[in-house]
Amino acid sequence: MTATNSAADSQDVIVIENLNKWYGNFHVLRDINLKVKKGERIVICGPSGSGKSTTIRCINRLEEFQEGSLVVDGVEMIEDVKNIEKIRRDVGMVFQHFNLFPHLTILENLTLGPIWVQKKPKAEAEEIAMKYLERVKIPDQADKYPGQLSGGQQQRVAIARSLCMNPNIMLFDEPTSALDPEMIKEVLDVMVELAEEGMTMLCVTHEMGFAKKVADRVIFMDAGQIVEENEPNEFFNNPQNERTKLFLSQILGH
Amino acid sequence: MKEFQPIAARQAPIKTVGFTAWLRDNLFSSIPNSVVTLSVIALLAYYLPLVFDWVFWSANFTGTTEDACVKEGACWVFINAWSYQFFYGTYPVEEVWRINLTLVLLVMVIAASFTLPKSIRLKASITSWLLLPIVGIAILDGRWLGLEVVSTDLWGGFTLNVFMAAASIIVAFPFSFLWALGRRSEMPFIRSVSVIFIEFFRGVPVLSLFFMGSVMLPLFFAEGTNVDKLIRVWLVLIFFMSGYMAEVFRGGFQAVPSGQYEAADSIGLSYWQKILLIILPQVIKVSMPNILATFVMLFKNTTFLLIIGIPEVVQTLQTALSNSYWLGGHALEGYLFVFLVFWGSCFSMSVLARRIERQMNTDKRD
Ligand SMILES: Nc1ncnc2c1ncn2[C@@H]1O[C@H](COP(=O)(O)OP(=O)(O)OP(=O)(O)O)[C@@H](O)[C@H]1O
Ligand SMILES: [Mg+2]
Repeated sequence: MTATNSAADSQDVIVIENLNKWYGNFHVLRDINLKVKKGERIVICGPSGSGKSTTIRCINRLEEFQEGSLVVDGVEMIEDVKNIEKIRRDVGMVFQHFNLFPHLTILENLTLGPIWVQKKPKAEAEEIAMKYLERVKIPDQADKYPGQLSGGQQQRVAIARSLCMNPNIMLFDEPTSALDPEMIKEVLDVMVELAEEGMTMLCVTHEMGFAKKVADRVIFMDAGQIVEENEPNEFFNNPQNERTKLFLSQILGH
Repeated sequence: MKEFQPIAARQAPIKTVGFTAWLRDNLFSSIPNSVVTLSVIALLAYYLPLVFDWVFWSANFTGTTEDACVKEGACWVFINAWSYQFFYGTYPVEEVWRINLTLVLLVMVIAASFTLPKSIRLKASITSWLLLPIVGIAILDGRWLGLEVVSTDLWGGFTLNVFMAAASIIVAFPFSFLWALGRRSEMPFIRSVSVIFIEFFRGVPVLSLFFMGSVMLPLFFAEGTNVDKLIRVWLVLIFFMSGYMAEVFRGGFQAVPSGQYEAADSIGLSYWQKILLIILPQVIKVSMPNILATFVMLFKNTTFLLIIGIPEVVQTLQTALSNSYWLGGHALEGYLFVFLVFWGSCFSMSVLARRIERQMNTDKRD
């Protein structure tokens, strides 16, 4: 266990130190160390089962961990964080399978958080929702149900739903890997725009074009560990580790 | 370079047409099949005329007493003469509007739950469903409204079956949801209590529960309090029903993907907000057909109340059959009547259920 994180720069919005996690006896995350500054854009890649999802899910506490420390926005995430809901409000998350609420309209999906969590009046919440729907370029779908939208549209709604909570940090877990090629671009465009506005982003993705374009740092994970961590140019052109080289040749090789 | 040429859509080919094709495919597709079809036709040809004759041609429709039944066939006069009791028990005639009013309210609440505008539907229908049992009791009993008090031993007939079933399922609904939640809980104590409760009420015959309700439950109430018999069986029905529905809901919970919980968590909803706003509506939607099936089962089980002497419709029928003015042996007519009334209501419920399902599927695809 580490002591306090007084040494951490106040600019760091996420500080992960020696994080270890087990599923039963299976050691999923091993000594993860990671600091994320405000406004930084980080892409995490790695083979299936390497622990990418688990890592970012620890950040908004969708997963618990057994050892190490994790500080988000200055709040230490321990066994029973009193204000876990507050952290979750500040950390938006976008999932591979969108996870929109199928029984609510698009507009209701977006206003749910502002109304019930932030206690905003309905009219104000709807105004915010429409603003973000315009930003993801589908204001005309507000009254439809998720099932009536294409995958790309659903994922953009999911991004807008997170943005409505006005988060400081956005987590993306393979946001485009359930999408057809034509739809990937429309989602990536929204994410690039978001990056350009200075949002702190952690993004698990294998879209290397996106990584090259927006990432400040690329992190490569394997077998529950961070194998390599570098700025994109170096990472792609001059990987330091054999394992990284192999992985890159596999995903870029064809 | 070639140009892409779209092919115009054509009608699907029609394989078999007409009545004879249908007959051949369904009734005479093989020799054994044809033999069965022919024997069934022969049986029907023999028995149907007899049944029709008894029910219609030589049946007695007019009159008011046993003496009016002179013809061979059914004595529908008997049903007619007792119809009030069959429906309303011994509820005073001049107060019977109260039963009818309660029935109308029940129908209105059902209709409202499906037709109100979306924006207020959920809140309005939940409120009215929860108020309905209280309002119903107030109207039927009368004491809280300053009406003439009609004590519960006068309530009876088919409407009592309806009210007992409806009042039980309404109250059981929230409880069964809680039991189902408890069964999924990570806290061992809550989980085991829920499992024991659910399995007890599912594993014990409803008849023995009714006996327990009338004999054992009074032991739990403070001495000197005399809790109404109907309230006691109401409690039994609520427990019984919530055990069954908890399992129905459990199935519904399993149908909601874990991503829904995670998405709700990730926007910072609290546990109860997540359960009530996100999970419950989806659970109810997938459980709807099974909820209705469970309700139909409960509704039919209310006839078992006759065992402990509650004058529901079958009990009323037996009273009528043993009445000294009607000793002509009308059991067949009587049971056929009860059969038709139950079958009619259960069948319309399943028709309604199918419509609801279809409506749900069309207005929210997922
Ligand atoms: N709930 C769980 N119980 C047990 N093991 C789990 C659970 N969730 C994940 N794992 C295991 O933990 C490991 C890491 O999973 P994780 O989902 O983080 O991988 P990932 O890097 O995101 O992979 P992918 O690219 O396939 O999404 C995998 O081996 C997985 O099988
Ligand atoms: Mg993953």
